[in-house]
Order: sequence, then structure tokens, then C-alpha cells
Amino acid sequence: MTRMSTETFSENAKAALRDAQLRGALRHATTLFGRKRREAAASVSNWEELRNEARAIKDEVLSQLDRYLETFVTNAEKRGAKIHWARDAAEANDIICQLTLAHGARNVVKSKSMTTEEIHLNTALERAGMQVVETDLGEYIIQLAGEIPSHIIAPAIHKTKRQIAELFTTELGMPPTDDVNALTSTARATLRQRFAAADIGISGVNFGIAETGTIVIVENEGNIRLTTSLPRTHIAVMGIEKLLPRFADLDIFFKLLPRSAAGQALSTYQSFITGTKRNASDEGPDELHILLLDNGRSRMLAHPVTRQSLACIRCGACLNACPVYQQVGGHAYGSVYPGPIGSVITPQLIGIQKAAQLPYASSLCGACREVCPVKIDIPRLLLHLRSEISRTQRSGRARERLAFKFWAFAMMRPWVYETTARVGRGFQRWFKSPLKAWTNARDLRPIEAESFREQWRRTR
Amino acid sequence: MRSIRAHLAASALHDGREPRINTNPCKSVFPSADASVVEEFKRNVEAVDGHCFIVHNDAEVGEVVKRIAEGKRIAVSSEPPPTKDLFDFDVGITTAQAAIAETGTLVLDSAAERNRLVSLVPPIHIAILDASRIYATLGETLEALQAGGEVSPAITFITGPSRTADIELTLTIGVHGPQELYVIVIQSNG
Repeated sequence: MTRMSTETFSENAKAALRDAQLRGALRHATTLFGRKRREAAASVSNWEELRNEARAIKDEVLSQLDRYLETFVTNAEKRGAKIHWARDAAEANDIICQLTLAHGARNVVKSKSMTTEEIHLNTALERAGMQVVETDLGEYIIQLAGEIPSHIIAPAIHKTKRQIAELFTTELGMPPTDDVNALTSTARATLRQRFAAADIGISGVNFGIAETGTIVIVENEGNIRLTTSLPRTHIAVMGIEKLLPRFADLDIFFKLLPRSAAGQALSTYQSFITGTKRNASDEGPDELHILLLDNGRSRMLAHPVTRQSLACIRCGACLNACPVYQQVGGHAYGSVYPGPIGSVITPQLIGIQKAAQLPYASSLCGACREVCPVKIDIPRLLLHLRSEISRTQRSGRARERLAFKFWAFAMMRPWVYETTARVGRGFQRWFKSPLKAWTNARDLRPIEAESFREQWRRTR
Repeated sequence: MRSIRAHLAASALHDGREPRINTNPCKSVFPSADASVVEEFKRNVEAVDGHCFIVHNDAEVGEVVKRIAEGKRIAVSSEPPPTKDLFDFDVGITTAQAAIAETGTLVLDSAAERNRLVSLVPPIHIAILDASRIYATLGETLEALQAGGEVSPAITFITGPSRTADIELTLTIGVHGPQELYVIVIQSNG
């Protein structure tokens, strides 16, 4: 599959809608995730309170991000971590490639990280001559297939087990099977060899704790633990918005994240890494590098409306709840961040002109806001971005703007309004063709034979 | 088995730290009316496909370990094999420094033992835990981990065996980490 562009959402979406297998998989996944999330949230009596507290904590961090970053850096460095700052994707990739080259590394193992997807780190590392392998099962599958994730927490939900089996047969020489356990065992065995040979492990970060300089990574498979424990060097790539002020704040976020993501009370593994090992004989890498990535995030801080985009903890709940995502899936968005939150983040990360269709890929129904564990007002953000677009992009929507100008003109002048309605009544049959985009899927309500104003005048 | 016994005798279970017994009422997300914290922990370990045994002395621990691991290659965290050999072991035995009843979670702390790989690489993980180290809630556990002011370099929370649902959302146990998790809780005072 070729990579879809953020600029062609409507074409991508139409193609996705014709893919019956994809829609079946999406229906299954989004329904199951949605149900599990609802049940998990209902099992907590103070869910609403937790959401409010989580948002308050994120707001606290974001409003003083500079201060919290400094505290985090001081504490992490004190315990032996090396900190790197990257303004954008190019700088981040440069730093990481330099580090791997300086260590004479050949083999890199990676655990699932949306942030490294965002900067297209694998391409950069491969260009630098590294063998890079994704070790999360879903990520491994899409890496073998040469695709990008279609869901934040389940990267390969768009693929059937038969497609995966065919892929494993071609790429790994595995005998054909449709047994999911056999597929998983093959991936386990293949990846263990890669882990054993790895020089460098690269992970993302779920939470950085300012107070202690700890990075916290959450998972179910165990590949993150292997990635961060086996190789001599661990590089953690962390968006600057991932901070929490205090260690104790994890209590709230550990309750919200796994429940919102996969309906679990707690994910299988949480790794808390605070600096490097204390004695040479201890387990774990000799070096810990934490790369703090901006890549457009500080721009989002500037505006009080867009700032809340940075509260996102990447649980994926808004994807499952979104009637648009449910139909078209992740690839149609053409970005590593799909769904409602993707439509908010992508235009802000890559520039609004390059993703001008995404803020319109929503019915503004508000289901995303309902499920968001940190109460991000996604519909409001989408409207904000739409207004930015209509302000900056004068062309393209000229007809729409003209129509609304006329609407405003007519609504303020009763005689214009009445004349238009009367004329419209006679000619409404011919309106259907210019309004095709609307009438294809919906009925256009006919203008009544007698308007309210006319009835009023007649019967008064 | 000799090494296991030796390990148990020298285990980090009694490392001089004051055992914490949680009697204070706390805000639990799963309020456990009258069941004891140990029972709640066991129930929640089993809810995530782990196995939990409650025993009363070291001899009983040995019996349970024997039942699970007899005839298998065993790695013990107090005398771990070289990392490159660890991939050939069937069973990894560690202690756990704390546990969380409301989620069935084990807490392994690098300050007390070399836990990162022995609990992860072999297909079977056996964790030995003192009942007095079971906290009712996640919040209390986090507080305890930070009690000394300093957080250990590596702390791992483990809730059940390794799992994935990445292929057609079919739950599969044992992808990268252990396929089987056994927790042996020592409850000395019965």
C-alpha cells in the first residue's frame, strides 16, 4: 500500500469505504474497544472526578512547561541520564543517528512509539546503515508489510490473520497457518534473536516525572522491557508534553490510560526507569539517553485553545468512538496520528495548509470529547482549526463564503428573504444538482407551499 | 532445587525494612468490602490469567516451586546466569518487593534484587512475595516506592503474564515475556 497523503482525505476515505474487509475489521475493533472501555470506566466509581483531576494536572504542567522541564532534566541528569533537546524531526533523527554511529551500533531494536513514528526515525536510521526492527507484534507486522499504523494502540487492526500468515510465509519462511498462537510464537522466536543481537534499544515514553526524573513506559507484551533492559544503550524519545509534576500523579493516570485504551484495570507491565544503574554489576543498560522533542509542540502552547491538544495521553479512545474513524480507519487520515485527535494534532504539527481537510473529517458529534480521559474539547479544537483555515485560505471556499454572505444579507432584509423563498419554491427542482454532495446521501427538505409568514398574514 | 532453597533462605523478603500492614481505609477503585487484602490480591492475579498460591512457610514454598518447575532449567534472580544464557532457561524465580491487591500487580524493585531479566525472559515466572508487603491500592504503593525520598533506578509492575491482541484482537498469552506467571504468597501468621 502506498502512503496516503494528509492532503487527500476525501479520496482516501472514499477508497476505504469501498474496502469491505477493512470496514468489517474496523467495526469489530471499534465496537470491542468501545465496549471494554465503557465497562472499565463504569467499574470506577469516581471516573468523572479522575478525568477532571487528570486534566487539571496536565493543565498545571502545560502552563509552566519550562519550569517542569528544567526540574525533570535536573533530576534525570543527577541520576545519570543524558538529556538531548530536539527542535524538530530532522534534529531528533540527527541526534539519534549520531548516537548510534558513535556507539558503533549495527542492530537497533525499537518498542512501539508514536513519537518515533511522527519523526520517521526508522527511515533515518536505515539511511545511516542500521538494521532496525520494531518489536511490538502489531508494529512488527506493519514493518514487514511496509505500512504505517492504522490505530494508536492496535497498529495492525486493519489486517486479517490470513494476510498476516501470508506475510510471515513470504518474509519469515513460516509454513502457512491461520492459528494466531502459532503466528505469535513465530514472531516471539524471530524477535528474540534480534533482541539478543541488539546494540541499542529505542523506546518512547508515556510519562516523565519532573519530581524524580523518572520515565515511565506502559505495555502488555514485554517487548518494551526487553528493549530497555537488554541492549547496552537505551534511547528514550519523549515529547516535551509527556511530563507529570509528581510521582504520585501516576495513580490517576494509571487508572485512566489502560481503561481508556484497552479496557484493562492496569496494563501488564509498567517500567519505571530513573537514571542509569548504580553499580556496574547491576542489570540494565550502561547509558540512558532521553531525547526531548518539540517538533511543533511549543507552538501549540501559545494559544489557550490549542494548548489542550498537548494534554493527550495517546489512549486511542477517541478513534474508537468516532463515527468517521469507524468507517474509514486510520490510513485515510494520511498521518501517523489518525482519528479525531489526529485531525487536531496533525495540522498543528505539519502545518495547516498540508492537512487542511482533516479538521473537516468530523461531524462534530462530540463522541470524542465524551470518552477523552483528559477531557480535551476536540470539537472546539476542530472548529478553531477550521476558522484558521477559512481565514488563511481565501481561495477554494469562495462559493461557500459567497453563499453565507448572501444568507446574512437576506436574513437581515425580510423582502429579500421572502422573494428568495418564493423564487426558490418554483425552482427548487433544479437546486438538486449543485447541491449533489449533500443530496447524495440525504433528502433536501422541500420548501413548503406556504411559508409561516404567509400563513400568518392570511390567518391573522 | 538446592539453589532455590538457598535463595529462599537468603531471600530479600526479610531485608530489615519495616513491613507495612495496611489497616487504614483508603480510596480503592475496587472497594473490597470484607475480603482480606491477600484474598483480593489472589483473586485479581487470577483474573489476569496468573496463578496464586498462599503458603505459610519456606518449606511449602519449596513444594509449590517443585510442583511447577521440576525437571526444568531454573534461573534464580539472586544468582542469575549470564544474560546471553538466560534465553535457554525455562523458569525464572524472583521475589517481589511489594504488590497491589486491587489490580493483582507485583512490584519488583532493582534496589532489592536483579529482577529485570529473570522475571521476563524465561517462559515461566515464579514470584515469591511476603503477604505483609501487599498494599490495598495503587496509590499507597506509589507512595511507598517513594518513601525513602529516592526512587530506585528500575521498578517494574507486573500484572499477569505477557499478552497481546495485535492479530485480529485475539487475546494471546506469552508474546515477549512469560507465558505463565505463578505468585507464591507467604502468609506467616496463618
